[in-house]
Amino acid sequence: MWLRAQTADWLRTEGERWIFVAKAMLASFSALWLAFRLGLDAPYTALATTIILAMPSSGMVLEKAFYRFLGTLVGCSAALALVALFPQAPAVLFIGLALWVALCTGGAAMHRNQQSYSFVLAGYTAVMIAVPAVDAPDRVFTLAVTRVTEVGLGIICSAVVHDVFFPRRHARTVMRTVQARYTGFIDFCRQVLEHRITPAQAELNHLRFAADIAALESGRAAAFFEAGHSRWHTRQLHAFNAAFMTALTTFYTLHRLAHRLRAAGGVSGSGRVNAGAVDAGAVDAAGAGRVLALVEPMYAHMAAALRDDLTSARLAQMRSALAGGIAAARAQLADGPALERAQQIDFDTAVELLERYAGNLADFATLYLGLTQQKRQQISDPGAYSPRTPPAIIAASGFRAGATLLVTAAMWYWLAWPATVNAILMATIFCALASSSPRPTVLVQQVLIGFLLAMPLAFITEFLMVTKADNFYPLVLAALPLFACGAYLSSGPRWAGVGVGLGMFSATLVVPANLMRYDVESFVSSELSLTMGVVVAYLMFKVVLPEHTMGHRGHVAAALWREAQNACGARLHRLKRRFDNRVRDLLSQLNAAAGPAPDAETRAVVRQGLTLLELGHAIIELRQLIAASHAGAARDSLEAVLRLLAAYLHAPSREGGERALQAVLDAGSAVRAALPDAHPERRARLHTALTDLHSIYTSLLDQLSGEFHAA
Amino acid sequence: MPREVDFFGVLLPGVLPVFLAAMLLQLVLDAGLSHIGIYRRSWHPALVRLCMFVCIFSALLVTLYK
Repeated sequence: MWLRAQTADWLRTEGERWIFVAKAMLASFSALWLAFRLGLDAPYTALATTIILAMPSSGMVLEKAFYRFLGTLVGCSAALALVALFPQAPAVLFIGLALWVALCTGGAAMHRNQQSYSFVLAGYTAVMIAVPAVDAPDRVFTLAVTRVTEVGLGIICSAVVHDVFFPRRHARTVMRTVQARYTGFIDFCRQVLEHRITPAQAELNHLRFAADIAALESGRAAAFFEAGHSRWHTRQLHAFNAAFMTALTTFYTLHRLAHRLRAAGGVSGSGRVNAGAVDAGAVDAAGAGRVLALVEPMYAHMAAALRDDLTSARLAQMRSALAGGIAAARAQLADGPALERAQQIDFDTAVELLERYAGNLADFATLYLGLTQQKRQQISDPGAYSPRTPPAIIAASGFRAGATLLVTAAMWYWLAWPATVNAILMATIFCALASSSPRPTVLVQQVLIGFLLAMPLAFITEFLMVTKADNFYPLVLAALPLFACGAYLSSGPRWAGVGVGLGMFSATLVVPANLMRYDVESFVSSELSLTMGVVVAYLMFKVVLPEHTMGHRGHVAAALWREAQNACGARLHRLKRRFDNRVRDLLSQLNAAAGPAPDAETRAVVRQGLTLLELGHAIIELRQLIAASHAGAARDSLEAVLRLLAAYLHAPSREGGERALQAVLDAGSAVRAALPDAHPERRARLHTALTDLHSIYTSLLDQLSGEFHAA
Repeated sequence: MPREVDFFGVLLPGVLPVFLAAMLLQLVLDAGLSHIGIYRRSWHPALVRLCMFVCIFSALLVTLYK
């Protein structure tokens, strides 16, 4: 029994890793064998491709394979074009290459996952083809064709091996993520509704959820390439993500309102009111207390409803119970003395938000049930996830990659050491690859460690073992330990970079060409120059714009403001979803850069981001309402609010904020004046407008007080 | 069918276009099959897909390669 448990445990953890290593080795050496058999010029390219493509699940392998092929094709075409344009002028050629690499690396920063890898690859493949062709431009076409052939060979071998032998389907991982997300969100909602969570914890939760959204999107992109993942799944997952974001935003607003009410209701109890404001404070607190007493049972009821599985019958039941609760609260309110205006607004907003949240939750749960039970349901086109990178970071990564290429090219020229070509390639590759990672120096450092480890090992393998091989199979035996070690390291989270470095280095050096030459001097100089390239990449990250990395706090904060400004001005079509996606994407970058325990400054940016998210949502909704409504006093006042808000977001200042607050109050009066003689449909719209105005008002208040508390 | 295809002066093997055509057919068939949900009933979806590709490719070759 004990033995079985142990074995099962081993199979789940280490066993998976060894299966992965076996698959990677099978793919590598079958590609190598085919490359030898077909007499290709540089078999190591096929081998290196399989090592790069060794990913844990088959969906990821297929996705990366696809984008690698695409990137290689584009890169080769670019190299051909560049060499054809400037065959006699190496200096101009290098400047052209640097521009191309800068462009591609910038493009990589704008995308996520393997799309970004495709851009990186297009950049450095061009360098790989064009640089060796500097002295012999006539060979460039052959080089390009060889490269494409060998990459293609490696891709086919990897794809077949990883997809067919002991496949680990990514679709299952995606489903697990979906389940974890669903239970996580429901738990979070329950905790918030039962007041068991502090605002700081809630912020952290929102940050994690943003990361989850990005992770689900990347998982979906990988699973897309697997067999049996239909278009319907893609749409369903997009819709799931979109519904989640909507529910999350509504819930955030709801949570903030509850928190505010409770804080206001607590003022009289704590007795910390100074003498001048006692009366107003006490009245406020009493009113807020009454609103709280009316709303609180509905929260509790909702939390209780969330405890069970949310089937569609139960969802309907929950919504009807909520409607009953709201009607009862309204009746109770009408019986008692009239509330003050502010409290009345609070109550109306709380009710509206609860209804909206229940609706969002129902959509979310329905989508979840459809996904888990594989039930087909009609969904309107939810559209794809749209990422967003702060432009300063895009420009900086492009600039850094271009500069690295030029620096190493200058080194090549001045050192007059032929092996520096390797340094150019390595520096460009790792500068581009690490640009899309939140902590590039750590990544490059790990790769460097891998290279340093590989130096002696590769030497030993090459000159003590590979030399003794007289056939393909002894060669496999000789090279296997080194490659297996690299693959094993790269399968764990901790030393992945080291493993990749080890594998890449060995693939470039150890593997023999069809006509083997054993030359210690050139081997050592290749080793040195390869390592030098990585060192240069490391230094470039340390020296050139070291603050401009993915998810850097300052840049994310600035980009969040820009997104909010965008919400005021951009075209309305699909704006809400785009805004949602982009803000979440920025937050997930922040999360990736901050690691498991974000510091206080990062949390401040998160809080700011969430406030802007709430504000932006309300603004977009108001704009939609304005676009659908007829001219009148209410519409004019809402337009004034938007104008002042846009001005405030472009130049945040206390005066601007207060002007906007005043405009919101005026618009509230105007909309309320239009309420009594509106027909029911318009009345619903006006109520939505009031809720939006309220959330604008409160988030602006938070924003203003937050700014001046901090100052 | 020609043994080799002249591509801007580089001789590429003649099976390459057939391979690409097989790939295209496979993509179409794959989309159709996953829409119907055949893969969910199979033991090893990836293997089914690979075998399907091999069948298409071989069928094309057998008919074209004379």
